Amino acid sequence: MELFVMSLINGIMVGGVYALVALGWVLIYKCSGVLNLAMGELTLIGAYVTLTFYQIGVPFVLAIIITLFIGIILGILVERIFLDRLIGEPILAVLMVTVGLSFFFKGIIEFIWEAKTRAFTPPVFSLEPIEIGFIKISSVYLWSFILAIVLFLLFSAFFKYSHWGLAMQATADDETAALSVGVSARFVYAAAWAIAFMSAGVGGALLGNINGVNISTGYLGLLVLPAVVLGGLNSIPGAVLGGITIGVLQNLSGTYLDQYFPGGVKEVFPFAFMVVFMLFKPYGFWGWERIERM
Amino acid sequence: MSNVWLPCGLYHQKYSEDHGWWQTPVIKGKMILLLALVFIIFPLTLTGYWFGVANMIGYTAMGALGVQILIGYAGLVTLGHAAFIAVGAYTSTLLILQFPWPQILVDWGLAYPISIIIAGILAGLWSVLFGLPSAKVKGFYLILTTMAAQFITVDFLITQYVSQIGGRGQAFSLPPGTIKIGPWVIDSELKTYFLMAVLLTLSVMIFANLLRSKVGRAWIAIRDNDIAAETMGINIIWYKLLNFFVAGFIAGLAGAFWVSNTAALSPEHFPWFWSLWLVGVILIGGVGSIHGVIFGSVFMVLIMEFIQYGVMLLGDVYPDLMIKFLYIKESVFGLAICVFLIFQPRGLSYRWWQIKNYFNLWPFSY
Repeated sequence: MELFVMSLINGIMVGGVYALVALGWVLIYKCSGVLNLAMGELTLIGAYVTLTFYQIGVPFVLAIIITLFIGIILGILVERIFLDRLIGEPILAVLMVTVGLSFFFKGIIEFIWEAKTRAFTPPVFSLEPIEIGFIKISSVYLWSFILAIVLFLLFSAFFKYSHWGLAMQATADDETAALSVGVSARFVYAAAWAIAFMSAGVGGALLGNINGVNISTGYLGLLVLPAVVLGGLNSIPGAVLGGITIGVLQNLSGTYLDQYFPGGVKEVFPFAFMVVFMLFKPYGFWGWERIERM
Repeated sequence: MSNVWLPCGLYHQKYSEDHGWWQTPVIKGKMILLLALVFIIFPLTLTGYWFGVANMIGYTAMGALGVQILIGYAGLVTLGHAAFIAVGAYTSTLLILQFPWPQILVDWGLAYPISIIIAGILAGLWSVLFGLPSAKVKGFYLILTTMAAQFITVDFLITQYVSQIGGRGQAFSLPPGTIKIGPWVIDSELKTYFLMAVLLTLSVMIFANLLRSKVGRAWIAIRDNDIAAETMGINIIWYKLLNFFVAGFIAGLAGAFWVSNTAALSPEHFPWFWSLWLVGVILIGGVGSIHGVIFGSVFMVLIMEFIQYGVMLLGDVYPDLMIKFLYIKESVFGLAICVFLIFQPRGLSYRWWQIKNYFNLWPFSY
């Protein structure tokens, strides 16, 4: 029983970080109707930039803020250089450009930072776990969870109440129609990419605190995909719920299934779950079910 | 219903001409020249290193053909094709190594050919398994299931379980002389080249013929508008799954061929990068075109060879570059996809079509 509760709680906490990365995914999908497959690399860039600043002596919070600013600049640059020319092109083209970008970034990241594992030294969060009764939570998880929830509230308010947020939703729904009523698609894309860079960057920095930063942190970025599917690709609450569900599933499968299937069951179980889930509920819990007519 | 643009002054007079493989004398000559080039002139003129490059091109082309069937002709976006290639490769290897073949089959050298076919069928079935959600979803959601195929198959099942069979550790290696077709032992790059050429020609032929039939037209209808296709009485689930099967089958063939080239196998040969690479190849070659597959794979493989050559030249001055070559390759591949999609979104095959049309329409410009 204790084991179950422990892995449940840890799963929820890790799920918070996944939710943060999933948020970046959902944002880009919601704004531009594109699944951004470069997300794993965006988390990597965030993690490495924060790490670099942290190691030259900048305090962690300041390093995160610098990462956010660099994220905005990179997001706008990427949008202006690559995606600006693709407005109105078929979705597959835009999708593959994000794949191309992901390789481009990955190559550059490996070129600059090499493929070694780096850790945040000295550790940012205290290594002493916080104890509530018999439950032990490491403080990295707890802080990440709190940060994820705060950012989640900020972003959903942005989409619901601000003029720009509505413009972004309109663009995702029907780009041509949005253009015709005077929404600037260029601005919307730039904003979406900037926000995605920001949220993925923070997510990457937090994940880097948990496991250390190396190229496979980018793979963790991909692991978030089942979370996005579970919630539906275009729902912010869905991203959070999906993230937490995947975190829990991962931890529970790691605890209980690892003895029967030794090896990477933890990494694969969310994907297997996703395939089966999609057979029954193809558009997730809150995804747009497109009703098509001739 | 000829799908070839005939030059001025040439008309078809019979149905058989309209349905012909090679519709004009020029096309016939061109194709015979191409076959002669592939089967006679290349083997006589190439040297060892370039056979390796040619085999790489053939392997890429076979893999990309499967991706082309899915993305280009049925609109089912896939990002996990390397998984099915891996299934083919492992099936073939395990059959050769572990299956208790009757001695007579081994003596006649039938083990490898039979294993190629079984590899194709198994990879096809495995592909259908992950194609099942395509009955309900399309677009991004389908991308996710194919990605799941990659991670479940290669990173989990093959790495953890399949590659442990027989207690050989991570990597399989085939003892020399086990890969043979009839009395013909495949042990040199020239022989692998011939196997590649035959398999590639056959699969391109089968696929091109399939496109001219009811099946191919159904796929194209599904790609263009699946709801319209369904109202016209096409059983879209059946045809989508058939599409997955054919794509998986060709991937299996490619995998089984690759065994003959490397004679060794490990899960690292089939990373997710390879799946994305194949999609990149068809995007650069042109989506929805058989020419595109060939152009794309030739272009990509040769570009990488040139980069490698360039890096080696620079390597004397900057030794660091040699270590970081892999990273440069990755970046260049990514940038190439982006640049092609922005400036040449219809790929190299469209350029080829324009050139052909220029000659067909000559002396008029339109």
